[in-house]
Amino acid sequence: MTSSNRDSPWRVLIASSHPLFAKGLLSLLQKQRQADVMLVGMVSTIEEALKALSTLHPDLIIVDYDDEKVNRDEFLARFVEGEGRLRVVLLSLKEGGDEAIVYDRRTMAASQIDDWLENWSATAALEDSAKQSTRMDDSKRTYPKRSENMRHIIGAILVVAIILGIGFFILNRANLLPEQASVQAGKIDGLFNLHFQLIVILFAIVVGVMVYSIVGFRRKSGDYSDAVHIEGNTSLEALWTIIPLGIVIYISYLGAIILGDVERRDPRPVEVDVIASQWSWRFEYPDYGIISTELILPENKQALLHLSSTDIIHSFWVPEFRVKQDALPGGIEMVRQLRVTPTQRGEYKVLCAELCGLGHADMRAPVSVVSQAEFDAWIQAQTEPISDDPVERGAIWAQQFGCIACHSVDGTPGVGPTWLGLYGEEVELEDGSMVVADEAYLYEAIRDPGATIVAGFLNLMPPNIADNMSDEQIDDVIAYIASLRE
Amino acid sequence: MNVLSLSLFRGLIYQVIGTGVGMGLVMLIRLLMRLPAWKPEPVWVGGALMGVITFMFGTRVLEDWLRWARGEETPEPEHGHEQLVGWKRFVNVSFDHKVIGVQYGATSLLMMLIAGIFAILFRTELISPGMQYMVPDFFNTLISLHGIVMIFSILLGVGAMSNYLVPLLIGANDMAFPRLNAFAYWINVPAVVLLMSVLFLGGMDAGWTGYPPLSANLAKMGFSMFFLGVYTFGLSSILGSLNIIVTTLRLRAPGMTMFRMPIVVWGAFSTAIIALTATQLIALSFQLVLFERIFGMGFFDPTKGGNVILFQHLFWFYSHPAVYVFVLTGLGVISELLPVFVRKPLFGYRWVAMSSLGIALIGFFVWAHHMFTSGMESYLRVPFMYSTMLVAVPTGVKFFSWIATMWRGKMIFPTPMLFVLGAISIFLLGGLSGPPNATVATNLHLHDTYWVVGHFHATMFGGFIFPFFAAIYYWFPKMTGRMYNETLGKLHFWLMLPAFYIQSLGQMQVGLLGMRRRIADYDPVLGLEGTHFWITLAGYLIGISIIIFMVNMVLSVRRGEVAEANPWNSRSPEWQLPSPVPAHNYEEPIEVVGEPYDYGLAGSVYTSRKSPPIPAATGD
Repeated sequence: MTSSNRDSPWRVLIASSHPLFAKGLLSLLQKQRQADVMLVGMVSTIEEALKALSTLHPDLIIVDYDDEKVNRDEFLARFVEGEGRLRVVLLSLKEGGDEAIVYDRRTMAASQIDDWLENWSATAALEDSAKQSTRMDDSKRTYPKRSENMRHIIGAILVVAIILGIGFFILNRANLLPEQASVQAGKIDGLFNLHFQLIVILFAIVVGVMVYSIVGFRRKSGDYSDAVHIEGNTSLEALWTIIPLGIVIYISYLGAIILGDVERRDPRPVEVDVIASQWSWRFEYPDYGIISTELILPENKQALLHLSSTDIIHSFWVPEFRVKQDALPGGIEMVRQLRVTPTQRGEYKVLCAELCGLGHADMRAPVSVVSQAEFDAWIQAQTEPISDDPVERGAIWAQQFGCIACHSVDGTPGVGPTWLGLYGEEVELEDGSMVVADEAYLYEAIRDPGATIVAGFLNLMPPNIADNMSDEQIDDVIAYIASLRE
Repeated sequence: MNVLSLSLFRGLIYQVIGTGVGMGLVMLIRLLMRLPAWKPEPVWVGGALMGVITFMFGTRVLEDWLRWARGEETPEPEHGHEQLVGWKRFVNVSFDHKVIGVQYGATSLLMMLIAGIFAILFRTELISPGMQYMVPDFFNTLISLHGIVMIFSILLGVGAMSNYLVPLLIGANDMAFPRLNAFAYWINVPAVVLLMSVLFLGGMDAGWTGYPPLSANLAKMGFSMFFLGVYTFGLSSILGSLNIIVTTLRLRAPGMTMFRMPIVVWGAFSTAIIALTATQLIALSFQLVLFERIFGMGFFDPTKGGNVILFQHLFWFYSHPAVYVFVLTGLGVISELLPVFVRKPLFGYRWVAMSSLGIALIGFFVWAHHMFTSGMESYLRVPFMYSTMLVAVPTGVKFFSWIATMWRGKMIFPTPMLFVLGAISIFLLGGLSGPPNATVATNLHLHDTYWVVGHFHATMFGGFIFPFFAAIYYWFPKMTGRMYNETLGKLHFWLMLPAFYIQSLGQMQVGLLGMRRRIADYDPVLGLEGTHFWITLAGYLIGISIIIFMVNMVLSVRRGEVAEANPWNSRSPEWQLPSPVPAHNYEEPIEVVGEPYDYGLAGSVYTSRKSPPIPAATGD
């Protein structure tokens, strides 16, 4: 297929081992198409035919369907599998010669063959132009549709540019990330910005071209014909495989580098054991022997958090710090570390990010980032001896061990029974029996919460919640409960 | 007609009886073991298990197999059921893949409706801070069920598309194993019943992911029903995909090489490979937790030497590839419909086909990206970041091929095409919001936030919901012989598309700003009320659009215009058949003689029959 305008005669290759077949056919064709046909070769085997295909560039191959020497099935299979879009006609003189098979293995009657040959030049021209327009890089040819194609490409680029503009406008205006309050947040946000920009750019390219196509390539009314026949383009496909591959590998590489930065270890950090329970947080400062329900951190100094859980999986997250780590049950082996270096003084909140049941939404604890001096003062104040009054101590334990997350002290209904007016009262249990909430009962209920369940409540209290409590601490808590008798 | 003559109702009654018998049996065993007869969980689980088995007997889907086992003559299938007309055909056992396809589809839409109602309920709760009308416990049950019921719906929808389309599109008369096909559908029904029973048997509060130790909490018996339901459902996935693979490999029409299959078959085939090989893992992981609950085996209980992270590996080893189970068939539908409405060949057919297989393959190597904050080995996160990012490459090939297909086409925009275009743009949003999750450093912020919620809703809507609706509208005339109402169809689309964008972008934004996933209430300090209001409003709009869709379907099935033989002027073989398609699809076998998508190539045909073919291209 050399050119789209048919000044040159059709190049016909005939595959048959009978010379008469060829000559007769040629004269027939010439008669029908006014000498517009040129016989470029005669072959008698498939190998010869395939060779001739590449050297002689025929437009039409006519195969003698009756010739046993030319294995037509194999020929057809080889041809159909091939890349070339040639025409093959299998002609048979048997059965009155009224059947032929064209290249797409359609069987048609003799009368249809005539039609097919008539229309043949027209379809070939159409197809040629389609081929040309997909091969933009071949400059030796003339392109009747080149300017139109250029117009479409420029149009699409314009639409992409408009969407890009809108996208970046929104990106710059939108409130997308919370305050940046740690060294790690700064690094992570850099990566976020790159990601956001890539999202906008890629979205604009795909949607832009799509929107342009929807507008520019809609079917004109009254036009019921099909569009151009373009099957694909291997170099384009390779291009849009390799470029994204490069991009994602680069981003992964950047991600790994920044992960390294985020996890960088500073010498002598502030160490805090973060203990999560359903549904409270406890913060222990092992260097100072402090237990707190609030996470106090000095600014510009790395904090090394040792995360663990007493019951199920929780997750430590302060959005302003950007980093997150699950807190796992399972003792010392399952303790996980998280490093964060706060940079902004202020009040934040730890949020539990892993669904942990009933009180998940409210599992929050305050975080304060303070100056080093304030931090030291706080340590000083906390390390002073705790009150002598067991009731006061009990109130502190109740808070630190998370009891009051479920047991209210003012009578509000919660996950567990309220402590207000509980001590010494008769309580109905799940099985209908009655029990007096005295010291012995309360001790048992804290040590082994599942043993007896108060009627109307679920067995939700973690069985090992008191594992870290001493008997003295439990006694203090009971004293505190007793003080809430009204 | 007696209700008991219909498989569905007979099965359900058998299930109720079977559950009672099973419960009695467990109590008897407990008494023999000198335990108190009544302990809710083991008794209910035993009953539920028995109920599933008796359901299957009740439907008589096992009848032929039992006959074979007894060495009896098996009559030709269908004879008993042919007389049934209308909806009754679809609540009875049939071995016809088209009937089964519609059964899958109807069940899928029903599940979607239920899960959608759950969503509307908890979105209303989230419209402003503070608890409005729900208790947190019920909220947790609702979000958990919304997730898993939607997943059921999606898997059923994928089953609908692959069952209805694969045999028709490859020129086969039915699936390779029609009885197994019916079994795989019917086992879904008791699974759905079990799942719904979660609502009444104590609820569940760990999300559809069901991470232990929370899901091993014995206070919530709903978990056991959930695990058992998913387990049963998984059996359907495994058997159904086995059938699809064998059908695709063995029953293609003569001349249809793998690279001449309609492209949606490639999607269904890739999907089936994943479902056949990965589903066992979720079944196993849920079975282990079930055993932990009932027998006290501490697989994941640290106090008994178990490990909580192990579960997550097992779970995600299925549940990540499952994402591609959800979307690959849908993406296949996009590639299938696009050429018809653009009137141009699918650009780079082989690349698109191979990209489906590529996604399926890479999908197996990325599971741990769900676990970047889980506390697994820190250094392992980096290779999983690289492997996850690789998914973008074959996915990108699909997008670029789609826009190249549109380029210089002659596009028309009936409802299915609108849904195809909507699907592309939304799946793009879902796809592009993926890399920030895949990058470990940014994932540390995003994990378990509403960003993730927005991200995966976009992939599910773009990869399944929109293509599923496109497929329903496109093949509606094939299934029913009637046309749907175009105005209502377009209204459905134009409500759903913008509403979805508002919802998804809103979710992503609140997530970035600090909104955690799965919380019943949020802190007013975050200042997110405005966005939450819009998200809820958009959710309502999506709900309304679904109602419009349902109305359209119901009206059109009965009163729609009689459809033309080939309303979309498609080259595909199913449109050369009468609509609805007769029981054994191709009375006259077809032969494939050309490429599937040669639009614009005059005179070319895809399939031929002995009678003269209809030329697919050129004006009429």
